[in-house]
Amino acid sequence: MSARRPAARRPVARGPADEPLPRIMVVTCPDLHSPDLHSPDLHSPDLHSPDLGGAGPSGPDLVAARLLEQVIAVVTGFCPKVEVVEPGVCAFGARGPARYFGGETALAARIIAAVANLGVESRVGVAEGLFAALLAARAASPASPARAAGSNAILVIPPGETTGFLAVQPVSVLADQDLAGLLKRLGLGTLGDFAALPARDVASRFGDAGECAHRLARGLDSRPLAALPPPADLSVAQEFDPPEARAEPVVFAAKALAMRLHAGLAARGLTCVRVQVRATWADGRESSRLWRHDGLLSAAGVAGRVRWQLDGWRSAPGDRAPGDRAPGDRAPGDRAPGDRAPGDRAPGDRAPGDRAPGDGEANAGQYPEGGVAALRLAPDLLVRAAGQQLALWGETVVSDGVARAAMRVQAMLGHEAVLRPVIGGGRDFASRATPTPFGEKREPGLAADRPWPGRVIGPAPGVVYPAAREAEVTDDAGEIVTVSGRCDLSAAPARLAVPGEPPRRVTGWAGPWPLSERWWDPGAARRRARFQLATDDGRAWLAVVQDGRWLIEAGYW
Amino acid sequence: MPELPGVSGSGTLPVLPALRELLPRGGLARGSVLAAAEFGLLCLALVAGASADGAWCGIAGIPEAGVLAAAGLGLDAERTLLVPDPGPAWPQVVASLLDGCEIVLLRPPARAPAQVRQRLEATLRRGRGVLLVAGDWPGAQVRLRVVTRRWTGLGDGHGRLRACCAEVVADGRGEAAMTRTRWLWLPTEDGRVAVADPLDLPFDIPADLPFAGTAPALRAVSG
Repeated sequence: MSARRPAARRPVARGPADEPLPRIMVVTCPDLHSPDLHSPDLHSPDLHSPDLGGAGPSGPDLVAARLLEQVIAVVTGFCPKVEVVEPGVCAFGARGPARYFGGETALAARIIAAVANLGVESRVGVAEGLFAALLAARAASPASPARAAGSNAILVIPPGETTGFLAVQPVSVLADQDLAGLLKRLGLGTLGDFAALPARDVASRFGDAGECAHRLARGLDSRPLAALPPPADLSVAQEFDPPEARAEPVVFAAKALAMRLHAGLAARGLTCVRVQVRATWADGRESSRLWRHDGLLSAAGVAGRVRWQLDGWRSAPGDRAPGDRAPGDRAPGDRAPGDRAPGDRAPGDRAPGDRAPGDGEANAGQYPEGGVAALRLAPDLLVRAAGQQLALWGETVVSDGVARAAMRVQAMLGHEAVLRPVIGGGRDFASRATPTPFGEKREPGLAADRPWPGRVIGPAPGVVYPAAREAEVTDDAGEIVTVSGRCDLSAAPARLAVPGEPPRRVTGWAGPWPLSERWWDPGAARRRARFQLATDDGRAWLAVVQDGRWLIEAGYW
Repeated sequence: MPELPGVSGSGTLPVLPALRELLPRGGLARGSVLAAAEFGLLCLALVAGASADGAWCGIAGIPEAGVLAAAGLGLDAERTLLVPDPGPAWPQVVASLLDGCEIVLLRPPARAPAQVRQRLEATLRRGRGVLLVAGDWPGAQVRLRVVTRRWTGLGDGHGRLRACCAEVVADGRGEAAMTRTRWLWLPTEDGRVAVADPLDLPFDIPADLPFAGTAPALRAVSG
């Protein structure tokens, strides 16, 4: 299994760092790898509610998190040093376990069968290097539990053929879709074409990201490992006394820890490929997991991984996915064959007892064992930081004080309670400012540089109701003013009554301005007639008639 | 009010030029509380000047804050934190926001007990921030309100809202005790704030006449 790639296949030698890559086995669970789970950090619904710990089941995310936790537990039974690449995808060095279980294909089949016992489909790919193994796993056709051992869910790239396998892959497999699109336009359809370019030219034309992708395409690791061992312990930890049973404070602490970790690494010009998250429970047990970092995870991203990892340990009764087990009935014999095989736990890989989900699952959505007593983040596989430009072209840099203030409020009220608005386009005033949770990428909901015919022109209103307020507009006779399908008014508006406020006389008005939006989408289609009304107290209102009802969308005061 | 050199930089946060004459030191005194009678464009205009000058701005308890209008007035949306619903722990939320933001616009969800107010004011004095309250705040150094407002441009079934002429009154305690009254275009046609020339007003100032403009057809011009 310890195949070496022939040196001749590497077009450009890059020095001692270009070691032949080890055989990597990747296990993917396509069902658990939904787009929602892909970035668990900020989309988990119960991240937003203030009382998370006590909150009940939080829907599919939590179920999937627990299921994934079980899958990882099963895989860990075959090889202790499992790295979670992203939710639904884990990887480990194939050499040792494959030898123990009688070959890579045999090992893969056993893993698929064991995971299928949980009711989860999985695919396995084996190749040299994580990137190629991931592609191999993706290329393996889906398995059904019945014929899992029948092995068409397994794709083993024979030793030495990884470069050839990579060469025929389309460039669109690269994570950087901008780069992939550019390469395609340049006529480079496959990774082989891309790999044939001289590395130096790639680096000068496409920068650091391009260089990484080029190394991947050539079957190398994306970045050479930093040769020097870290001069100091760069891990960061926080203790909770008393142990914290709720999720939000732990995740909040993880965010702060991640910032410290990043700062410590940055001070030494390093970044890490993986980050190890280790939570110690009040009863002394530990939950430890390696997460792929690649220097790309933000503090919030790391905190999201921590939440994910800890969520997997939480149980919520009555909220189980098929294949999930009731708490307590997961005796070791119930597990997949090979799970927790004692012989394959290499010393030094992990502390003993670090892996026991399920056994400790308590009830009621709280963390088991009385809560988290300590949280530790440790960088794994240090590499030189190539630098990530954070504030490019005038993006506002968030100072530490502001970030601290915002995160403290987020810790109190939830992630989505602190927003930063982004000005965009649209026909409604409400949709032209998109509130984005603090710490997330800021993008307008609708592009600002489109003409948006039908929008209200003139000065913007100072008051924009997030949900339009009910109102009544009547004519001189006291009848509700109606608008026909052809935009004929029944009478001129004379009075405006907004619940909770005294009725006002209308002193000036304009409209109706019809607006029919998104008729092609039954869910979002809206037909409205808009009015501007001025009332005798000097205010002005943006009112609409929709489905025969008057609504106040905004106020000009 | 003459500006003392150096004071406006350190002791006050800048405001939009049109609002300077309303405030005792031509700016928002750091560590002070200002109260506007209700939430509206005036509040947004008061924070916009500081934001345009580079300050971070927090807006708490006002889910209907019109960010677009505020941006038109000069607010930098990138340096704005919105906490639409601070909930029952709003004093802590505001204190946290004041740690990071130089100016916080707040509409308290409930009437603030005196103790809570005093604690927030102490926090404010320790820091260098400004709290602008939309609503009642008995200890406020400066109180502002819009007493008269007239929109132009809207007819009887035609036209559109163009600009609003507003009479703003400021009073308060200490150096703000003198009542100041200014006519402003709030907003102007392009969404900014400008001092209104009384002769430009779409109506006569003293008589509070109805909206249909009775501005004099002729007026004296200087020079």
